[in-house]
Amino acid sequence: MSASNPAAPASPVRSLLARINLQQYVVYVGFLAIFLFFAVVLRDSGFLTQRNLVNIILQTAPATIMAIGLVFVLSAGDIDLSFGSTVAVSALCAAMAMAAMPAAAFPVGILAGLGAGLLVGAINGVLIAWLRLPSFLVTLATMGLVAGIGRSLTQLRSIPVTDPLFTGIFGSGSLFGVPSLVIWTVVAVIIGHVVYRQTRFGAHVLATGDNARAAQVTGIKMSRIRLSVFMISGGLAGLAGLLYAGRLQAAKYTLGETDLMTVIAAVIVGGTLLNGGKGSVIGALVGSLLMGMLNNGLILMGLSVSDQMIVRGLIILVAVAVSLREKTR
Amino acid sequence: MKTTTMAAALLASTLIASPALAQTIGPNGETATPSSEVVLTEADIVALQGKGYKAALLWHTSSDFINAVAAGANDEFARAGVDVVVTTDAGFDAAKQRSDIETALAASPNVILSLPLDPVTSAEAFRGAIDAGAELVFLSNLPAGYAHGTDYAAIVTDDLFQMGKQAADVLAASIGGEGKVGWIFHDADYYVTNQRDNAFKATIEADYPGIEIVAEQGISDPARAEELANAMLLQNPDLDGIYVTWAEPADGVLAALRSAGNTTTKIVTLDLSEPVALDMVKGGNVVGLVADEAYELGRAMAAVGLKGLLGEEVPAFVVAPALTVTADNVAEGWQQSLHRDAPASVLSAK
Repeated sequence: MSASNPAAPASPVRSLLARINLQQYVVYVGFLAIFLFFAVVLRDSGFLTQRNLVNIILQTAPATIMAIGLVFVLSAGDIDLSFGSTVAVSALCAAMAMAAMPAAAFPVGILAGLGAGLLVGAINGVLIAWLRLPSFLVTLATMGLVAGIGRSLTQLRSIPVTDPLFTGIFGSGSLFGVPSLVIWTVVAVIIGHVVYRQTRFGAHVLATGDNARAAQVTGIKMSRIRLSVFMISGGLAGLAGLLYAGRLQAAKYTLGETDLMTVIAAVIVGGTLLNGGKGSVIGALVGSLLMGMLNNGLILMGLSVSDQMIVRGLIILVAVAVSLREKTR
Repeated sequence: MKTTTMAAALLASTLIASPALAQTIGPNGETATPSSEVVLTEADIVALQGKGYKAALLWHTSSDFINAVAAGANDEFARAGVDVVVTTDAGFDAAKQRSDIETALAASPNVILSLPLDPVTSAEAFRGAIDAGAELVFLSNLPAGYAHGTDYAAIVTDDLFQMGKQAADVLAASIGGEGKVGWIFHDADYYVTNQRDNAFKATIEADYPGIEIVAEQGISDPARAEELANAMLLQNPDLDGIYVTWAEPADGVLAALRSAGNTTTKIVTLDLSEPVALDMVKGGNVVGLVADEAYELGRAMAAVGLKGLLGEEVPAFVVAPALTVTADNVAEGWQQSLHRDAPASVLSAK
């Protein structure tokens, strides 16, 4: 009787729940709920096999890496729409450099791939931080520009990547039984999380996105911070390009093209605000895994392609709505 | 005499066109087996039923064409009592296709039907499926370095050369074998459209000396077809005909002609589409659509995969016929290609 009486004092459980802001953990709760749902529904369809679960992590590795970069950019109050195109150009530059210098394929591939990503990030950063152009418009333009360069670099042809060291480290290799893509994901997330949460740079990124004027007054060099976040995003897109090139043992101008929306959704669902000042690298990882798990589970459920798209869209909509409602209150 | 002339003409066209374009041949030079020769017998059906076999359809994209191919495959699998457990769409993304293959393998399919997006990127992607022992049947494209029998069961494809050739023939007939034409081709490294586009061009150049291709324009985004066609017409206002690589950009080309009040420039394109067919049956600019028998492609893919599963010898390279659809045979053409009625708007406009 008293439990249903709104005037009655709150029970200890309820007051404990009130103190723990459950919505802050929406991505983790959602991840667990969807995992349990697939685990039950697809128990005979191979979802829970170790191979399938590892596949989900492998398949989402490049998107997770891109998502970490986007967390920094969004947290600083900007947006980067060009990272998908940057992935393709980085992969192509790496593949072309390796083909041109087979004797030193591994180092030149890495240099070319990461260099291309950092260069795109630097161009974005300079245009946005020093010329004061809006990041949405700048990266919308560079997205098209870089995609065009990617198409013309190889006249639309795919370039094979045959260097075994490169494909091992960035693709199909493993260390003590742990696939290299898993290692890359873990390393990138740990470094990203520490830089974001434990360093002065991370604090400055958040301050820039939270209140630019206040950040400027306190002496934060905002132009340098904004240039840095775009170079981080570009560099990580370059790394994602290397991972794609290693995994597919080839590079193509379409790589990364479809990742833009998935990565943005993963980052938002993972607790990063679109308008800056708050974010989470761990949340982005879980958001990315959630997207990968959704793709995987819906396919194994035997849904038609159209139904997969509808269900995926609805789940993302609910997740984003719940996640954003909490943060904008 | 006539036979000799025809033989000479054929030889000339073979020499003028590149050898690969003279007819549809397999990636490793295999001769084509007509899809009508790949049929599951009653004994095959009995042998397949009740075995719990599973199939996966791992497409490169979603489209009306793929829907029709999938319908043909699904019906054939159903006839043999085989469950289709996974259907995917890679959205033309090679990385997504690799992920789709890995995901599908968790459901342990015995037969996989797929269109590998590109020979280079697909080569590594399908290795896992081969290792898992699945029968692979490819639509139109083959991963680099794959061997028939050990790595895959068969490739099934449209008669790509015939599609381009028949498009050239129908456009040439509509302009009396003489005039200036524009060629809007797919500007991407994509075997299917590249073969068809080049077959059109090769046929015009080889078989129709009175026709000159005066404008060439590549297209990658169908949404830009109207502006490309406007530019082409601005520079060549006296075009007699335009070839458009497939039906979706043909909508944009039609829009450009309509807004210019142009009723004389003829259009030919590939694949069936309601807006383009509607213009054709109403006597507009469109004079013909060349289609493949998509449903038959799917049926043949399923049949050849299941025959492979039974250990039967299957042909390496299977081809489904091309089909020219004009205003006169639009109802029959729709049935033959997609295995369903033409849209009501098209039928009622006849």
